Amino acid sequence: MSGSGTDRRVDLDGDTVGRDLVALVLTVVELLRQLMERQALRRVDSGELSAEQIERIGNTLMLLEQRMDELRDSFGLLPEDLNLDLGPLGSLLPRD
Amino acid sequence: MSVPAYTAPDETSTLATCAFAVHLAASGPGPFPPALSGHAGGGEPRVLDAGELALIVQSVPAAAFAGEALAERLQDPAELERCARAHHDVITAAARTGPVVPLPLATLYLDDTRAVAAVREREAQFTRLLNRLHRRTEWGLKVTSTPGAQPPADRPAGETDRRRSPADGRAYLDRVRGRQRDREHRHEAAWRAAERVYAVARRTAVEARRLRPQDPALAGAGARQLLNAALLLDHGTEARLRHAIDQLSTDPAIADQARIELTGPWVPYSFARLDEEAATDGLQ
Repeated sequence: MSGSGTDRRVDLDGDTVGRDLVALVLTVVELLRQLMERQALRRVDSGELSAEQIERIGNTLMLLEQRMDELRDSFGLLPEDLNLDLGPLGSLLPRD
Repeated sequence: MSVPAYTAPDETSTLATCAFAVHLAASGPGPFPPALSGHAGGGEPRVLDAGELALIVQSVPAAAFAGEALAERLQDPAELERCARAHHDVITAAARTGPVVPLPLATLYLDDTRAVAAVREREAQFTRLLNRLHRRTEWGLKVTSTPGAQPPADRPAGETDRRRSPADGRAYLDRVRGRQRDREHRHEAAWRAAERVYAVARRTAVEARRLRPQDPALAGAGARQLLNAALLLDHGTEARLRHAIDQLSTDPAIADQARIELTGPWVPYSFARLDEEAATDGLQ
């Protein structure tokens, strides 16, 4: 996945429309990732998961975050690029 | 309402009356500064008597200010700015000698008679408002979070940890939890700081109201506007407010979280709304 991303980057460089689209898609993916993390924490807190399951979920989410970082880097995007301004509602993802 | 606030000027009339503000007849603004020209293409600003009240108007070409033509012109940000500045300048000039109730931008009447009739119709409301605004000015109070004031220490550390112990899923979840908790604490502390500023500041004011937060882009990257408030202050009490704000600004519990910005004095736009008298968050 990151391989094809690197190949495609050549085409997208200098093409702001393509880059904006990538940023938008990655923003949505990032939103889902953060929601999954929250959901995972909620399930861990509820005590319904075994230690093994917790370990596995944590590992999956960690890999997902790494993948996300790599993907973002490969398109030359910064963490703060992945967000949407929803006007009076604030931003889609929390800004620190 | 028998006299509509806006009536489409008919084709034959060339001039309409644009109203800026209402003031007490007794506190007339006197001669306007010569540089004050009001809206471009209009006549000189002048004062119309309306019994105990008076209003400041200007004759403007009806065609340029009629509903659709005006709406179209105001779509252009530069034109909108020119109009808003012209409007504001007249109101500021009028407010120098006494309280005024500013009217909305481009409040248009068919002619002077109708403008006067519209004001007379709401004389009691205008008088009540003007009395409340007498010898008072508006101050703006904004509190903005300071981005990176307390850098989340776990972020960089978390990244190195992650590379060093790639197998520990539970530790990762704990880091995520810590990150979220930190963010929540930071936000909570920032909101608390803003609430404290508002609580302290409004003690010096006759009235206070919260306004809608401004466009996040204006606050700067990573910053959030925590409070956008307007305060109505008695003349001569600004020093108390400034002193209170100075003290708050140097309080570490607030200085670490937020930046306080005080602006003014302004014509009390936020407190001079005829339609919103009930919405104020007043102490009276």
